[in-house]
Amino acid sequence: MTNELFNEEFKGILVHLKSYLLRITISIQDTEDIVHDTYIKALDKLNTFRGESSLKTWLFTIASNLAKDNLRAQKRWIENATDICKQEAITNQDFFQESMHIRTTSTQGAFEIKEHIAFCFTCISKSLPLEQQLCLFLKEIYEFKIAEISTILGITEAMVKYYLHTSRAKMITIFDGRCAIINKEGVCHQCSELNGIYNPNQKFQEEVVKIEMARDAENADKEHLFDLRMKIVMGIDPFESGAAALQLHHLEHNRLVMEKYS
Amino acid sequence: MKRLVLILNIITIAATTMAQTGKASTEKKTFSRTTSVSTDIKAEPEIIWQLLTNAPDYPRWNTTVISIEGKIAEGECIKLKSTLAPNRTFKLKVKEIESLKSFKWGDGQGTRVYTLVKNGNITTFTMNEKIGGFMFPMYAKYIPSFDQSFEHFAADLKKEAESIQNKN
Repeated sequence: MTNELFNEEFKGILVHLKSYLLRITISIQDTEDIVHDTYIKALDKLNTFRGESSLKTWLFTIASNLAKDNLRAQKRWIENATDICKQEAITNQDFFQESMHIRTTSTQGAFEIKEHIAFCFTCISKSLPLEQQLCLFLKEIYEFKIAEISTILGITEAMVKYYLHTSRAKMITIFDGRCAIINKEGVCHQCSELNGIYNPNQKFQEEVVKIEMARDAENADKEHLFDLRMKIVMGIDPFESGAAALQLHHLEHNRLVMEKYS
Repeated sequence: MKRLVLILNIITIAATTMAQTGKASTEKKTFSRTTSVSTDIKAEPEIIWQLLTNAPDYPRWNTTVISIEGKIAEGECIKLKSTLAPNRTFKLKVKEIESLKSFKWGDGQGTRVYTLVKNGNITTFTMNEKIGGFMFPMYAKYIPSFDQSFEHFAADLKKEAESIQNKN
């Protein structure tokens, strides 16, 4: 593969690579650093790329290894990390002033419930063991096949299947207990609370029923609701969406809180 | 004599076959009792091994376990609550682990052994528990039969492992 062709294909993969790394690291700076290092490393080793896997699989392998090195020393988050972050945010005047400034001045400062659902998924998935989180992301969001995930993470297909199964089961249980959109008894109402703050003239119930996962909540099984949640996450580019600036600001806040917490 | 050997062989084969279908059996002696169950699972040993050694995940798939606290690793102690005696917490030591093949846990009164044997695309899972000691005859009658619990354990493991194996 020539450098020119590589550069062209890299650009096409970049959107997915960046969102993948952001969702793993919860850090814009780390994402940019790892994307940069992935590019340099791939270009340097381009003569060893034999095309046995796709370029996308190869680049995700390099990026995943760099991300794992980056995350090795960090603690995983706890399931109710968003509750802790919410409490910190409530007492942090600067956070709200910055948020409202982004909301009113940025072209990517909208607050959208779907965006918050994706944001919430990112935060809660940090409570999974890293290998499980990576398997879940690669399969459910980036649509890699089990054999490709096995290559990317350097583990057997059997382990990929196990991690996928357990991570899905864990996330389904967590969301079933927390998310008030899918369970009336759910303890977390952050999307309606934030919608009230950022979109005071909007009625949450009218907005939320536009989301298939909310409409199907009473009748669909938990597996299906999780698939619908994944569909929402898949449809959002956290760097380019209309709510990106606000959600990235919230994500940075949560990361800083959780670094302090652990 | 040849006829006797033949009959014994048939009995052994029949017993083995029956055991691998997930039916538990118990052998009672004066000073001990041994319960075994064995089942063929269409899944990689890695998947079964992960299920058997991931302590906090047990209640999700195993209907006989209420909780397991601790880490299933050699030399570690775990606290097990089982549906067989829900008011008791068994403090057990993980004694030997041979990765992907077998491990044991137990206390002063008994030892449970888990074994996996791969044969093509089938893994034979066997669970065996021997309880006993000099005082065993005194309290034997108060210990409930393990058979049903063992059968449920094996069936749950088979169902969960095969469901994971069949994911694509």
